[in-house]
Amino acid sequence: MIKDIILPDLGEGIDAAEVSEVTVSVGDFINLDDTILVLESEKASMEIPADVTGTVQEVAVQLGDEITTGQLLFKIELSLATGEMEKMAPVGVEPGLEPEKRPSRKSINELSSPLHLGETTSTGDIFASPGVRRLSRELGVNLRAIKGTGPKSRITKNDLHDYIKIRLAIAAGGIVNHRRPDVDYSQWGAVEVQKLTKVKRITGQRLQQAWQTIPHVTQFDTADITDLDVYRKAMKKNAAEENIKVTFLPFLMKAVVRVLEEMPQFNSSLDHSGENLVLKHYYHLGVAVDTPQGLTVPVVQDVNQKSVLELSEALMDVSTRARNKKLKPDELKGGTFTISSLGGIGGTHFTPIVNPPEVAILGVSRSHWQAVYDSVADQITPRYILPFSLSYDHQVIDGAAGAAFTSRFAAILEDVEQFK
Amino acid sequence: MEAKKFAQVVVIGAGPGGYAAAFRAADLGKKVLLIDRDPTLGGVCLNRGCIPSKALLHIAKVIHDASSLAALGVTFGDPKIDIEAIRNYKNVIVTKMNDGIAQMARARQVETMQGNASFQSDSEIRVTCGSDTVKVTFDNCIIAGGSSSAMLPGIPVDDPGVLTSRTALDIADIPQTLLVIGGGIIGLELGQVYAALGTQVSVVEFLPHLIPGADRDLVKPLEHRLKKQFQEIRVSSKVTEVKRKKQGRLQVTIESDLDSHQETYDKILVAVGRKPNTELLNLEKTTVTMDQQGFITADAYQRTSVPNIFAIGDIIGNPMLAHKATHEGKVAAEVICGLPAVFDARAIPSVIYTHPEVAWSGLTEMEAQEQGIAYEKGEFPWAASGRGQAVGAIQGKTKILFNPNTKKTLGIGMVGPGAGDMISEGTLAIELGADAEDISLTVHPHPTLSETLAFSAEVFEGTVTDLYLPGKEKGFK
Repeated sequence: MIKDIILPDLGEGIDAAEVSEVTVSVGDFINLDDTILVLESEKASMEIPADVTGTVQEVAVQLGDEITTGQLLFKIELSLATGEMEKMAPVGVEPGLEPEKRPSRKSINELSSPLHLGETTSTGDIFASPGVRRLSRELGVNLRAIKGTGPKSRITKNDLHDYIKIRLAIAAGGIVNHRRPDVDYSQWGAVEVQKLTKVKRITGQRLQQAWQTIPHVTQFDTADITDLDVYRKAMKKNAAEENIKVTFLPFLMKAVVRVLEEMPQFNSSLDHSGENLVLKHYYHLGVAVDTPQGLTVPVVQDVNQKSVLELSEALMDVSTRARNKKLKPDELKGGTFTISSLGGIGGTHFTPIVNPPEVAILGVSRSHWQAVYDSVADQITPRYILPFSLSYDHQVIDGAAGAAFTSRFAAILEDVEQFK
Repeated sequence: MEAKKFAQVVVIGAGPGGYAAAFRAADLGKKVLLIDRDPTLGGVCLNRGCIPSKALLHIAKVIHDASSLAALGVTFGDPKIDIEAIRNYKNVIVTKMNDGIAQMARARQVETMQGNASFQSDSEIRVTCGSDTVKVTFDNCIIAGGSSSAMLPGIPVDDPGVLTSRTALDIADIPQTLLVIGGGIIGLELGQVYAALGTQVSVVEFLPHLIPGADRDLVKPLEHRLKKQFQEIRVSSKVTEVKRKKQGRLQVTIESDLDSHQETYDKILVAVGRKPNTELLNLEKTTVTMDQQGFITADAYQRTSVPNIFAIGDIIGNPMLAHKATHEGKVAAEVICGLPAVFDARAIPSVIYTHPEVAWSGLTEMEAQEQGIAYEKGEFPWAASGRGQAVGAIQGKTKILFNPNTKKTLGIGMVGPGAGDMISEGTLAIELGADAEDISLTVHPHPTLSETLAFSAEVFEGTVTDLYLPGKEKGFK
């Protein structure tokens, strides 16, 4: 029996994804749960596992294809023994991925000009119900410009509303997508064109939007972590026996959460009206991870309830899975504050960009030994110094609060007792 | 001195399209004047079309159903026909509906006016009723003038033995013999009414088949029934002459490629189609354009060549159906009121309310073949349906045409009792872009005839279990 493998609903409003790797070819024998396809969506990379065992008869997709839910991926000749293992559940859905009703926001590139009034647009081949077609006329939206997020790519009323929101944001000058001049660089020398990954393109758009819509201020500071370093190394040695790697990051996370608890406006978001601040009573920290596909920010939940060791374990897990494209879209959402650490690489200070809807982000640079004058003992001593930066949304946080945050953060790091 | 009137919206014709347009415009805040020739509202549809014919077809169906019980072991006596009571039953229904519309007009403060509307210019109408004339001006006008029965040359229109759909519905008497000229929807419906009342009915159709617009396979079960019910059905034939004989009967000359012969009938019914009522409106005085067949040209916003004159319904072309007119009427009213309406229906269902009923919506197989549109079909015979067997509807069938690539519903056709009601599911499927599995995975109640829609989709997919189709792939399509 030949079984069609189709792209399942990936959940989280993801309706399309780009094929970044096809791991099997015609004639290959695949086992249940073997990875058959790697996809990059707007939000994450993910591997699609086989839910059947059999031989690949036909590969219907290629590298770089933009594929949508329900699209045929492979035809698999089922092997007899496992033919009955075929489940009724949608093929290849990763556990825990529940379809969400709210569609994802459209990227700006998918927008085009609205319907001109007086123009009769034939909608005969557009997949939208009469009610949606009427709404499109009321809103003056050309349905051809919209990609549906409903089942089988049906255009829903929500799709129209989302589209309008983005149009309004553009009209208000919120997001400006500059057209880049088409320049032939090869006239000055040899060039090579490399396609941006989908993650990179989407991240780029989001960063641009954040940069243009949030008034950023960055506060620089340093912390003396000489004592903490001693404490960490002791802990690291013990934890190594349990195969847990203890870096500075979990300490930084603990310290951040302590400050967030004391200064709740840093753990907040502006609501849609821009008139209210939503203060969150949970502490989920995003941790920027560099992967070969681009920047991803997995979220570690309830940092206030976790120990340094538990955080170390969690960080090892998410960063490994981020690099192996095994993160679920759920794990990239719900953050309240982000830490971006370049400590392992170098630099003194940098200005991170706030990750909306959060209102602040901590950037950590490389620690170094420094000669510090101790005025009490009247001597110069070598101290291990951590430089860091805090960027914040000036709509929500004022400069005094920003400086108070970095001072308090440094003070916590300098007091080892805080971590015992 | 001539009276003068002004209204923001003037609607000419109070049929199902006209009153819908008037009421919608009034609901949207316009001052509306609704003009009709008839003293009552509702137009041809209510007064001498859809509604009275359905009242009579209901009687015809019950008569037939009662007699068909004989084979099942229940026998009634021969029906006794009280023509006056039947006429009354039909008239009461019509009057009740007339009053309902008049009440709704009053409640909305839509002013109604009886009279013939005649354009004087692009901005002025003269309405005459008896010796009174009123000059009417408007911001916007909606022409919903409808259509009337077309006539054939060589037929004495004024002869009381020559009926149109309008006079046939009056059932002045039950003639012994009736010749129906025209084997279309109206001719067959009325033919069946008279046959049920005891008349020997014959039909002459010019084209090679009855109901030319419908797929042959859907018409066949009806044809089968009519062959038993009617005296004679002649296709590819035409009536060239009708003469009143001395004995009081009508002598009719019927010609075909093969022969020409004469027959006599008590009455004849001319049902050869309908023509738009454009000539009554004096449109020459306006710059409203018409096509060669006399239909007013209107765009998807129902706008004519004059920007503030709109036209809807039969007067702008086929299909001449009340439900099309109603939707167009609302579009016109909404466009006038500045709403972004447009007529963008993807399918308009057609129904023949005979016994059995024939209904179709969207693409027909005939159109698909003529236009070279690729399709695949799933069809289900009602003989395989338990309910079909139980109610003796084994001649019925349901079919759905699908796009072979997208599997989306292109068209749907049904024949059998209740087809006209069940067709709406298919029309909805077309409007929503439903594909085969959307229909087959929708749970249909058992045992019903509506199940045959889901079964047809399953036949297309190969997943049907209420039929065995040898050689057909049983996977999902």
